[in-house]
Amino acid sequence: MKKGHDIAVVGYAETKIMLRGGRSAYDLAAEVMDAILARTGLEKKDIDGLAIGETMSETSNPFWGVYMCEMLGLTPSWMQVNGLGGASGIGGIARAASAIRDGLCETVLVILSDAQSSSKPTEQGAYRHEFTYPTGLRGPVGAFGLLSQRYDHQYGLDHKALAKLAVTQRRHALMNPNACDKLRVPLTEEDYLKSKFVSEPLRILDSVMVCDGANGVLVMSTEKAKKLGLKKMAHPVGYGEITNFGGDDPLTDITVSGFSVAGPKALKQAGMAPKDVRMIQPYDDFLIALMIVFEDIGFCPKGKAAQFIHETDLTWKGKLPLNTSGGQISAGQAGLAGGGTNLVEAVRQLFGEAGERQVPDPRNAMVTGIGVIPYGRNWNVSNVMILEAA
Amino acid sequence: MSAEPKKIPRPLPRPGVYMPTQPFWDKAKEGKLVIQFCRDTGRPQHFPRPVSVFTGRRNLEWREVSGRGTVYSFTNTFSAWPGHEDRVPYLCALVELEEGVRMLCNLLNVKAEDVKIGMKVKLCWEKLPDGTNYPAFEPA
Repeated sequence: MKKGHDIAVVGYAETKIMLRGGRSAYDLAAEVMDAILARTGLEKKDIDGLAIGETMSETSNPFWGVYMCEMLGLTPSWMQVNGLGGASGIGGIARAASAIRDGLCETVLVILSDAQSSSKPTEQGAYRHEFTYPTGLRGPVGAFGLLSQRYDHQYGLDHKALAKLAVTQRRHALMNPNACDKLRVPLTEEDYLKSKFVSEPLRILDSVMVCDGANGVLVMSTEKAKKLGLKKMAHPVGYGEITNFGGDDPLTDITVSGFSVAGPKALKQAGMAPKDVRMIQPYDDFLIALMIVFEDIGFCPKGKAAQFIHETDLTWKGKLPLNTSGGQISAGQAGLAGGGTNLVEAVRQLFGEAGERQVPDPRNAMVTGIGVIPYGRNWNVSNVMILEAA
Repeated sequence: MSAEPKKIPRPLPRPGVYMPTQPFWDKAKEGKLVIQFCRDTGRPQHFPRPVSVFTGRRNLEWREVSGRGTVYSFTNTFSAWPGHEDRVPYLCALVELEEGVRMLCNLLNVKAEDVKIGMKVKLCWEKLPDGTNYPAFEPA
């Protein structure tokens, strides 16, 4: 069996994304597990592995993963808490695949859950008290302001290309009942271009809105899935990941991301080129991240993303469907569970269950993750997974 | 964006919390900017780390730098980090020092429309409410 085809994602679920919903990350995760068990017909006792992501809402609890087991009544032989920020979803699948191949467990629930918009802000500490906070740089918004300005200097920032991304994703969110209600209103190019600057040249409509929500997938060997009679599967056929990209180079080009490493690695493993990618469900905390994804993974040359965006139909029925559930920018960012929103949409599409936004011929999907804003650089973690329909 | 933060005072540096950074602040008090250098490679790094990011070894020293640099990138901040509301709009920048390292800082004494990437800047000091000298940059 081709590497990757030996592992299968056999189920998925997500909650509705809510702004200040007031439910805890545990309660949201429980809804996801309940739905996955109902849809796959598996029983709770079949789950012997759990991969979850760090949160903003429960991060002060150093035993969060074990508490989650206790909360969900799970007794796994393998449990892992991934702290890769928005990269923990596909990162969780990759680690689950290794654990399954190594015989540590057979059936892994990969869950991301967070109630960030209902919780107090967290403190990342370290150097930030001395070298970041006194300057007033506005967190990720400020960092992406710096990144956008530099991108504009090197390549020119095409605001109409960014507007097209915003409008395309919003159209998709309008077809997604799980998207945050506040965002399910039509958006025009003019709305985007007139939206106010938060950290110039970054606009408020370039940015995600922090919400609450949970999502998850169930992973096992293909052999086991077949034995259980499960029909719908998505195989992780390619994966690449890098943490602290550029972290040992004080003069790194901040317009280049770790996708320049993780993208080609995932494609090579899958035996694919960018043109073979049927749809892309990339992590989108800011619209410009999507341009950098296209460039660094090789859909277009560096600096040419705007042209690529103008020339490509990115709608659900187009040549390269993009974030067909709205992405985080138009569905809402479920805190640190946001990295799973696009993952779950990819699996839903590959299973042919996306309803009115179903991509025709959903043979494969590329999913990406982005995690953590570093000091004065591009983002910290980049990962890419290619999933193939069974 | 999450809920509007409560009004808090401008955040002040807390020296020496994650590693010994006191030399940086002691020299700042004298109006001198010091940066960590790796003795093995001769390369500078900032923010300060407990090892050289080039070698992973602790063979490091503080050296005074010229305070001359260029703007690598900048952003005009309209949505403040908590404690900076009274300063809006304000300029945050990455300044590339001529020694070969970048610093996150504020640009002072210049209007946003007059800032250009690549423009020459020099060190200046902002006096924070607790008397701390905090490094910033202004047009050279």
